[in-house]
Amino acid sequence: MSAEQTKHQLEDWQESVAAARLEKCPQSVMEMIPYAAFIGAQAKIENDRLLYRLDKRATNIGNPSLPAIHGGVIGGFLELSAAIEIIYSLDIATVPKVVDFSLDYLRAGRYKTIYAKCNILRQGKKLVNVTASAWQDDENTPIATARCHFLI
Amino acid sequence: MAFDMTMALFRPALKYAMEKNGHGKTLGLKMTEINRGEINLVFPYKEEVVGNPLTGVVHGGVIVSLLDTACGSAAMTVLKTPAVAPTMDLRLDYMHPAEPNKPIYVEAKVYRQTSNVIFCRGLAWQEDKENPIAHCVANFMKVDSKSINFSAIAVTQLRRLMPWGRRATSDKESDK
Repeated sequence: MSAEQTKHQLEDWQESVAAARLEKCPQSVMEMIPYAAFIGAQAKIENDRLLYRLDKRATNIGNPSLPAIHGGVIGGFLELSAAIEIIYSLDIATVPKVVDFSLDYLRAGRYKTIYAKCNILRQGKKLVNVTASAWQDDENTPIATARCHFLI
Repeated sequence: MAFDMTMALFRPALKYAMEKNGHGKTLGLKMTEINRGEINLVFPYKEEVVGNPLTGVVHGGVIVSLLDTACGSAAMTVLKTPAVAPTMDLRLDYMHPAEPNKPIYVEAKVYRQTSNVIFCRGLAWQEDKENPIAHCVANFMKVDSKSINFSAIAVTQLRRLMPWGRRATSDKESDK
């Protein structure tokens, strides 16, 4: 790919992100990332905060005999949510790069909708620290929490 | 090494459970080696799982899924009667982005186990194992759970093939 093409792509990306912010539609940022459609993640604004949602899908099952959602899908969903949080709320020029990701599983993810919220704890010049928490029935009984660093 | 009867029986069952069900099937991963405390798998590149549309690099979430599957399976194999070991936590370090259009290889090893906890390490690489794309550590609980009900998995799988049973496992039904 030529440098010219890369530049064009980046400009298109920035334009789409700016448009999504203007329309207050984080879902359109989500739709720009193919992996979001692969697991079926969605985003919306609720009470001025971003709320992420992952509806149940047979293709996300990890343990079919329970059935339970695959731990990796929960991790991927939280990492994706953290990335969207950064893209949507911080004024950065490109797609953030994940450096590390730490996940604690607190409860099994049952076969139903998972919700998630993220918190940007610190934004430096190069590094952003984000936490994410996922729950099913009640926000106060999370099924998993994650902490990640992104390079911007 | 002496012939390990449990592993000989468990190997095809685990391979089936991981490759032909749910998310493992959706990803299209293949388990290439299954031994006590050691799992190797391979994931072919897929455009559907791209995380950075500008570069075509796969999303980190895929690496999480691959390493979680590999470490979780490795943890299962060290139990006397293979059973599900729930994940306590998982930490991943991304060394460099995965290159598009190349398969990702994953290896997971159990490096220590106590009466309650199984400690695992995992590595993901593409061309050079010495230059990995990600490294992970994951810990699993040893709980007195029933051994995996492989017949239940087979039944679920069969039911999906039957037109009248499809509704029960279909993801189209809403939970509202």
